[in-house]
Amino acid sequence: MSDASEGDREGLEIVGPVVVGMPAARGGYATTAYGNTQPQGEGARWLLVRPDGSATAYAGKVEYGQGVRSGFAMEVADELRLRLTEVEVVLGDTDEVPWDMGTFGSQSTGIVGLQLRKAAATARQALLELAAERLDLPTSELLCRDGHVMSQSDPNKSLSYGDLVTGKRLRREIAEEPALTPAEAFTIMGAPAQRVDAVERVTGRAKYAQDILIPGMLFAKLVRPPSFAARLTEVDASAAERMPGVVQVVRDGDLVAVLAMTDEQAERAAGTVLARCEEQPEQPSHLDMPDRLLSSQHDATTVQAIGSLEAGFGQADGVLEEVYYLPYVANAPMEPRAAVAEWKDGRLTVWAGTQRPFGLRTELAQHFGIAETDVRVIAPEIGGGFGAKSYFPAGLEAARLAKAAGRPVRVAYTRAEDTAWGSFRPAALIAIKSGFKADGSIVAWEFRAYHAGDRAMIGRRGSDTPYDTPNVTVTVSSSDSPLRAGSYRSLGGAANHFARESHIDEIANAVGMDPVELRLRNLTHPRLRRVLELAAERFGWAGARPPSNRGVGVAIGVDVGSYAAMCVQADVQGTEVKVGRVVAALDCGLTVNPEGARNQVEGSVIMGMGTALYEAIEFRGGAVLNPGFVRYRVPRITDAPAIDVVLAGDAGEPSTGAGEPGIVPVAAAIANAVFDQTGRRVRELPLQRHLR
Amino acid sequence: MTSISVNGVPHEAPDPGRNLLSYLRYDLGLTGTKYGCGDGVCGACTVLVDGQAQRSCQATVGTVLGGSITTIEGLAPEGALHPVQEAFVEESAMQCGYCIPGFIMAAAGFLGREPRPTSAQVRQALAENMCRCGTYTRIQRAVERAAGKLSEQSE
Repeated sequence: MSDASEGDREGLEIVGPVVVGMPAARGGYATTAYGNTQPQGEGARWLLVRPDGSATAYAGKVEYGQGVRSGFAMEVADELRLRLTEVEVVLGDTDEVPWDMGTFGSQSTGIVGLQLRKAAATARQALLELAAERLDLPTSELLCRDGHVMSQSDPNKSLSYGDLVTGKRLRREIAEEPALTPAEAFTIMGAPAQRVDAVERVTGRAKYAQDILIPGMLFAKLVRPPSFAARLTEVDASAAERMPGVVQVVRDGDLVAVLAMTDEQAERAAGTVLARCEEQPEQPSHLDMPDRLLSSQHDATTVQAIGSLEAGFGQADGVLEEVYYLPYVANAPMEPRAAVAEWKDGRLTVWAGTQRPFGLRTELAQHFGIAETDVRVIAPEIGGGFGAKSYFPAGLEAARLAKAAGRPVRVAYTRAEDTAWGSFRPAALIAIKSGFKADGSIVAWEFRAYHAGDRAMIGRRGSDTPYDTPNVTVTVSSSDSPLRAGSYRSLGGAANHFARESHIDEIANAVGMDPVELRLRNLTHPRLRRVLELAAERFGWAGARPPSNRGVGVAIGVDVGSYAAMCVQADVQGTEVKVGRVVAALDCGLTVNPEGARNQVEGSVIMGMGTALYEAIEFRGGAVLNPGFVRYRVPRITDAPAIDVVLAGDAGEPSTGAGEPGIVPVAAAIANAVFDQTGRRVRELPLQRHLR
Repeated sequence: MTSISVNGVPHEAPDPGRNLLSYLRYDLGLTGTKYGCGDGVCGACTVLVDGQAQRSCQATVGTVLGGSITTIEGLAPEGALHPVQEAFVEESAMQCGYCIPGFIMAAAGFLGREPRPTSAQVRQALAENMCRCGTYTRIQRAVERAAGKLSEQSE
């Protein structure tokens, strides 16, 4: 080998640049949006072919339910001609994996997965060259199969990957354009596969942040002010300090916590801490939100501007103007946030269930004024997040407390803390004015959205119309947010789609046309048309003017470059809506693990159904009134519909993500089904509350 | 009675006021049983007490003294899988997986007393367990598949 340099470990290392963000074509993220710093250094290790012939892939993504470990293993195994069980995937450990901006935006498979495929294809070429030298044959005579390089004409001339790399420390750069396996030659990618980490999950061996217990560790219980805006002014912890098991009460600025030998000792003692707070009067409640979204709007940005609204409305036969409202909802993943921090020899290690291990590393290094290389963040298995665990204050809290105590400290939120002190999908108000011809063609579309919170990217996502309308203005504004506005599956995409796809049905009703037909009349995008036609066909959609009293609804969606369509059957009894059947079609390009993609779409349907029918965060006086599952209803197995997922992606198209697009059409499809059965158009979520 | 058995191992007189979930997780290190809500409404902490599914977050050690507790770690012998566990793997009935031990324990308890359930009975038996990733249709299929395996075994 000519350009082989010395690797760090025995075997064949493949190194290469870190990959950042999404291509601009997919509405890419700015890396600064989440406070990440740019990656340091070049030549991160992506892959290691080990002396035993197995391979280890390294990626900065985290596994929080999307099955990314399995997807990466499939991509690497296929490119490297290994069995799935011969590929190990290391995720989310900042000491071990290439820098990554965070796990969100459905970019794992398409971007990091692609980099891993390139690394594996580079390794395959390197192994061919190593074997060519040993076997004295040209590489063109050789092929890789089942972990071996062998002669095409004489299979007896064969060397295992292990043979080729044993005793060596080889390092290769990822090739500029390695020969990726074409879709028609895939043997693993594209075929449904069980999760590679399934057995750990069913046996309880999978370790989540809540499960990290290390020797000498203390249990912390934070003392929180009664409302978000309150400031602790005085703390009397004298009683707590005398309670059994209490080791220390830490007061570090705004951070007050009891550290004890057990979780219950910490909790009991924290309850005795007397805290005086300076309250902020006149804090808004959830009931004030629709008005506040309008009155506090700022930074209106134009997302889409085509033609002239004036001209469009001038030629319209009919005009509709309606307002849609969505309340704050909670991501409410099953695992509340937890972190364990340990200082050892000047180096900080934090285990945290964060979607942004490198972002947390930066935050920790900055807070303590130490080098990022002196901080290690390990994201173990993560019990869900759906965006919320991009915001992960427990990591810094545990590190501050561990420093104060001189011992490892565990901070684990209760359900109520995780909800109230976490982040929410922001409330949104969306006003739409449309103009249309009697034949159903839409000629004018004015869409004004007001999303709470200062992160404009939330509100912009999915606000543009995919229909052919010649005169369009879409503007998105930010508004003051009394609650922390955070990331939620598809960001504002689900809210914007609820408004748009509800309104499209209102146009169908106004012109007396079947909703599928009306959509097709206004849609030339081939991939979007195709998913709509596939969903309607599988559902057995029979065209009719709504309301047809059958309880059927349809909606389409575009998110992260993927295309989705959904048909639902619902039954309304009083204020209770039972969704009986859902057909969802998804085109996410190359679908690496169809089983994983189906699972994601099914989950999106259930989650979207919760926001459509039941979920709304209530708050007053700076406190969340329903922070637990007792008063915050989420879907149960008894609510679950039959879900049929049609995967329509072309294996020749890039993978664009399956975790988020499935949620965007759900709420509108259900609202449209409710209208179809009852003739009642509900423009405010959750539907069940507004069916009274 | 001053002892309890956890996965067949006897433990002597732990503090009877200790929360059962905390005892299993933090004192015994059996972290397969999860904390999800602390209110007894999500089912992540489900264990078997004398074969019956129970919310460990709502119990103290004192209330189960003399009892025999099975957690997800003790459902099958080391290195083997219980038919319910197998079925969850086969149906890919999981995403993040955090709720799955609770579902498996609830299903194991239920199938122990109702070996040939209808689909509606399965749903009703699991109505108190939550999966926020929304893998319910897979969980339903997995439990029905497990019921089939168990009835084959008993024939």
